[in-house]
Amino acid sequence: MTSLWPIILGSGWIVGAILVIFAVLVLRRFLDERSADARKKEDAKITRSYLRRVAGHPPEDKGKRWSASRRLVAVSHLQSLLRGGDRSRLMQIAEFDGLLTETLRRSHSVGVSNRVDAIRLMQRFGSEACIARLRQMMARDRSYNVRLEAAFALAATSALPPPRETMRVLAMLERAPNRLDMALLRASAPDYSDQLVLLLKDGLSERWHAQLVDAIGWSRNPSVAPLLEEAAMQSSSEIRCAALRAASKLGQPCVEEWVKAKLSDPESEVRVQAANACVALGLTSAVDALAHLRSDEHLWVRLRAEQALEQLAPDLLAITGKAA
Amino acid sequence: MNLAHFASQSASVLEHVIFATALFCFAVVLLRNAIGLGQLLVATWVFATRIEPSEGARDLWTRYADLALPVSVVAPAFNEELSIVESTKALLALEYPEHEVIVVNDGSTDATLDRLISAFDMEESHRIQVAELQVTAIRKTYRSRRYANLLVVDKDNGRKADAANAGIGFARTPLVCVIDADSIVEPDGLLRASEPFMHDDGRLVAVGGAIRVANGSKVEGGSLREIRISRNFIPQFQVCEYLRAFLTARVANAHTNTLMLISGAFGLFRRSVLIEMGGYRHDTVGEDLELVTHIHRHMRERKRSYRIAFVPDIVCWTEAPASLEGLANQRARWQQGALETLSFHRRMIFNPRYGRIGMIALPQMILEDLLGPPAELIGYVLIPAAVLLGILDPMAALVFFFVSVVFGCGLSVGTLALEEHQLRRTPTAKDLLRIGWAAIVENFGYRQLNLWYRLKGVRRYAKRDSTWAAVPREGFNA
Repeated sequence: MTSLWPIILGSGWIVGAILVIFAVLVLRRFLDERSADARKKEDAKITRSYLRRVAGHPPEDKGKRWSASRRLVAVSHLQSLLRGGDRSRLMQIAEFDGLLTETLRRSHSVGVSNRVDAIRLMQRFGSEACIARLRQMMARDRSYNVRLEAAFALAATSALPPPRETMRVLAMLERAPNRLDMALLRASAPDYSDQLVLLLKDGLSERWHAQLVDAIGWSRNPSVAPLLEEAAMQSSSEIRCAALRAASKLGQPCVEEWVKAKLSDPESEVRVQAANACVALGLTSAVDALAHLRSDEHLWVRLRAEQALEQLAPDLLAITGKAA
Repeated sequence: MNLAHFASQSASVLEHVIFATALFCFAVVLLRNAIGLGQLLVATWVFATRIEPSEGARDLWTRYADLALPVSVVAPAFNEELSIVESTKALLALEYPEHEVIVVNDGSTDATLDRLISAFDMEESHRIQVAELQVTAIRKTYRSRRYANLLVVDKDNGRKADAANAGIGFARTPLVCVIDADSIVEPDGLLRASEPFMHDDGRLVAVGGAIRVANGSKVEGGSLREIRISRNFIPQFQVCEYLRAFLTARVANAHTNTLMLISGAFGLFRRSVLIEMGGYRHDTVGEDLELVTHIHRHMRERKRSYRIAFVPDIVCWTEAPASLEGLANQRARWQQGALETLSFHRRMIFNPRYGRIGMIALPQMILEDLLGPPAELIGYVLIPAAVLLGILDPMAALVFFFVSVVFGCGLSVGTLALEEHQLRRTPTAKDLLRIGWAAIVENFGYRQLNLWYRLKGVRRYAKRDSTWAAVPREGFNA
């Protein structure tokens, strides 16, 4: 039975270690709670000091040495409240205080979550140095999640690289598109609509072709409307749906005719998307065609047509009643 | 001489039987705890390496709101007249770009429906049901004049599974979130639970989220105003249990693609998959466990690539039974539901066709739900008895005590430590200590009582008892 001792000792050690860790965490929480008021007051002082400096006044508590992490918290908080010149001045002062250096240093940490935290701070700083480092991380970080996070930070500061580079760095074409990919492509559309159009000629898979067509709708560039019409005539229903989504977003009157024509597309999902597009574009001239779709063979088409009529011609619905 | 020989032989056989049973009980308890320790370690790794939801991604999520898949929140309600208006308001106020709330009045005998009609200015509507999954009759549907995204379905009584199925049938959105009407969903719970769909390439079919016990907390207007810990020991023990279940077991299972349960209090599903499967089963008291097992079976039999995810952040709060009677009903029902699920899907067990679900997840369920409770209870009685009879060395009893009780304390406290380090949702250090104390005390009585309740569930299963014993609730602010 002496062979059972290792089980007892092993269990005892594991449980003992867990209890010690728990005790340390409780103690840490207790000390945090005790110092919470003092910490709040100090945070308020740091914030006040930065606000005074932004306004050109001398700081309170001159020479006081607050930790970089506490000052970073205050700057992040203020940064979300300030606008325009005040915000730029705040970020300059933070850079003078060495907070940017600290953030850039953190962006080289071993831990993924530390690097992601640094990315979020750099996004807030938004200076040239930050954008350069974010681009570097997006291109070369060993973790896909970090590269993705850097891409979103760049998108938020309107500094995404051209779409072809974004797609290559994030290895988009090696997998099926997801909603984050759609968001990134849409984010690059206003700056790079020409490059998105060029990408369409690359012979990509239908799914990716559809994503690019969708993104082009976010370009705010009316000259892409004929290209959307061309996409709406393609054999792939996914691409036709994307063209309709893009046309809804672009909101140009010249798309009206072909959008209405898609209400009689042979594929039910295209007809559904066309009904949605009619609502988005406010096409009251499509009411007759939509009314016709209330007797479509597909339930979803009938439902969408009815929803579209509720918005485009509520009076018509009141008169004719709801479809069975 | 022969009689003495026979008696001695019988005693020897009995000794062997007792020894073998004790060894079996010990092995089961040891294996369960080893799995528990493994899950704690995997969960620690998952939490240590996870990236918290990014503001940047949230920002884009807001800018491109149409990328967020619309969600229908289905809330089955039965005799909820006191809280239904507040709960519905809280659901309507959830942060999400596009969501519809479908309240299903499951034949309430109180004023649940009247309250809804008057509070939300509802009028009769003729909403078409996209799929008829319920077995009872739909009486009427109502649409709110004030809230375009609120639909009330009034139907004959048929239990939660039937009511949820009715609601799913009326949903028109790609995702449906099935909750309990008395669940308190965190304001951004829907947003966080749907986040895995942002990364999804079309394979994700369901997402579960962590649920915590709200007993003792301050609830106003259907929303959680202040987190507090109940002073009653029974809810405190359940806080530990929920943490163990949601922060270690489910996180670890989701990480290894063996998640078998998404709680009925909050689950997000792809509507098309639920409809293909016919929704929840009506003939089980454990419909939530059965549903996820069925999803695995459905997808694997059709050789479709799929994924079920779990969000370790707390998305929802629920009221746990505060009395032993309520606890007994709930635990017996859970046990019965687990056995029913194992029975419905028995052909998956140890069947390589079902991959890790057949070879790992279901056998683990057998260990946890079929063998575990009786083995541990028998061990508590048999091992000391065997020691007293001189069949086992006293050291064996000590080892059993260490492996079951002491190690159990360690796992519970370890989960609490994980929660404190990663989520910090326990209000104060004092509350943390209180829960820590409960995590130790629960191993001396409560744990054994639970095993007993689970055996009652086994009995109910054997008797094919399908009655639904309601769990008495005290109300959140009791």
